[in-house]
Amino acid sequence: MKDGRFLTLGIETSCDETAASVVADGRFVMSNVISSQIDIHTAYGGVVPEIASRKHLERINDVIGKAMADAGVSASDIDLIGVTYGPGLVGALLIGVAAAKAMAYACDIPLVGVNHMHGHIAANYLEHNDLEPPFMALIVSGGHTEIVNVPEYNKCEKLGGTRDDAAGEAFDKVARVIGLGYPGGPKIDRAAKEGDAESIAFKRVYLEHGSLDFSFSGLKTQALNYLNQERQAGREINVNNVAASFQEAVVEVIADKAVMAAEKYRQKRIVMAGGVASNSRLRALIEEKAGARDIDVLKPSPVLCTDNGAMIASAAFYAYRAGAEPDLELDAVPGLEF
Amino acid sequence: MLNSCKNMKILGIETTGKYGSASVIDETGRVFSADSSEEMNHLRGMITLIDEALREAGISKDELTHIAASVGPGSFTGIRIGVTTARTISQMLGIPCIAVSTLEAMAKGALDRAISAGALYVVPVINARRHQTYAGVYEAVFTTDPEKQSAVPVMEEKQYMIEDLLEELRTRMDEYKGSVVYFTGDGIDAYGDIIQGAMAEESYVFADEAVRYQNAESVAKIALAKAAAGKTITYNELMPEYMRLAEAEQRLKAGTLSERIRKPVKI
Ligand SMILES: Nc1ncnc2c1ncn2[C@@H]1O[C@H](COP(=O)(O)OP(=O)(O)OP(=O)(O)O)[C@@H](O)[C@H]1O
Ligand SMILES: [Mg+2]
Repeated sequence: MKDGRFLTLGIETSCDETAASVVADGRFVMSNVISSQIDIHTAYGGVVPEIASRKHLERINDVIGKAMADAGVSASDIDLIGVTYGPGLVGALLIGVAAAKAMAYACDIPLVGVNHMHGHIAANYLEHNDLEPPFMALIVSGGHTEIVNVPEYNKCEKLGGTRDDAAGEAFDKVARVIGLGYPGGPKIDRAAKEGDAESIAFKRVYLEHGSLDFSFSGLKTQALNYLNQERQAGREINVNNVAASFQEAVVEVIADKAVMAAEKYRQKRIVMAGGVASNSRLRALIEEKAGARDIDVLKPSPVLCTDNGAMIASAAFYAYRAGAEPDLELDAVPGLEF
Repeated sequence: MLNSCKNMKILGIETTGKYGSASVIDETGRVFSADSSEEMNHLRGMITLIDEALREAGISKDELTHIAASVGPGSFTGIRIGVTTARTISQMLGIPCIAVSTLEAMAKGALDRAISAGALYVVPVINARRHQTYAGVYEAVFTTDPEKQSAVPVMEEKQYMIEDLLEELRTRMDEYKGSVVYFTGDGIDAYGDIIQGAMAEESYVFADEAVRYQNAESVAKIALAKAAAGKTITYNELMPEYMRLAEAEQRLKAGTLSERIRKPVKI
């Protein structure tokens, strides 16, 4: 406690960001330290798990130290530690979990494990301080594309998800194919602004009528086929047009299904989360479609969309408040479900 | 300058092999240990083991003066759990760290038995798969005072093909006819047959299974000597000893990283 506020330290190491943050009362970000490894993994064209694990180890303690220093607090002020224990890369997760447990033990602070995906949703509590469940959540990230009904804090009912590639994965794969490189999402977003989204007719995959599931793997094949066909015809390829057309095919389906889910469950709000939620076209389109049906769309600012410790702290705060048992035998669970 | 040895309480942790363990050693050399009987349970069980070792020793964590970790070689995952735990406890309690080589700790732990078996060399061998090992060769120095017995490194701790390690050992043993090697570590489980095939029957002994694997007691003992000699470091200096680059790193250096992965398709 400091100045009467309950302080949670959140720790996140599920993929390639080593992150820690101090959050007051589950809502107010006092510090948010994110040490990204993107520069290192770029040489390999994607995240290399063994290297990610090694880097997390080298950085985690200073990241935690800086999170407390930036917030102007010390370990004795921290009331709760929250750490991502899944889903993610097992070698990466265990660095955060080992550090969190050691700190909890050394400083006598309760520790709760946080589902990374609940963390992504909780990022919205930090951005919108009066947001409370119930709402419809749309999680679109590197590993997930999920529509989730959230009736109360940390309660998630999954209504639909991807059957193959996640949205972010599709962005990354297609970016590689058209030579934009890694990380693909932001690069496609940028290139698409200069392109014509109607220039190439990529198929929209809606699956069975009423389904809230997704399938994006076919888009990569379509993009490859298009490139081959153009190359064989000796035509020059306009990368911006490919980016814009591909992006439109992804975000249109996502926006339609999110709005459909909100209507079906009579939710007045759609809350976005995950790295792809910072896609400018997805944001614009979903606002347009939801707005037409009187549904509000909320989303966190880009820094809270991608992996960070603050969202983990917020989710931990609400889990603890709801009675989650502190656990010093916490294990990493790479395939953790919602 | 030597550090004051008064009231030292050192926590040693070992997570590089199959079974995790934690030990507390005090300035008199008394050791209190907790061992896990569950395989590869390091992440889940480490704090419980530490707590048990402290309770055995009858001290609270605030009385700890140093924390030591077995830093490898061994299981990458295991190494990381131990080193991260040690670094964080060091950071939070504000006490120094001590790095202990896993192979040196294994040699130290095997020393008495090796000497009793009449061995001149102690050879800890860790299985690194596909005929690879992490190993070191130590000479057992016998004195009448058991406290002064020591294991002196005579071959570098590094990655060896098991066949190369045995070849070098045989050359060395030709100089000391009739000398005996004491092998320890899970390398015996993996390469026992190869060792048997390559070494003369009278020339080697395998550590019993009950004492074959890494343990925190040896880590704590080496840590005590290092602490007394002032060989302490900060948590940021406590680094894993993997003895091997990540596979992708090896390939990037060798230029054999898959083209598809390294370079985006150019159009
Ligand atoms: N502006 C953008 N447009 C589209 N995609 C984007 C944008 N910014 C980031 N992304 C994508 O978001 C993904 C990263 O998001 P995030 O960090 O939330 O995912 P992750 O943590 O890797 O996956 P998960 O959270 O599912 O384990 C990447 O696939 C990236 O390409
Ligand atoms: Mg994420």
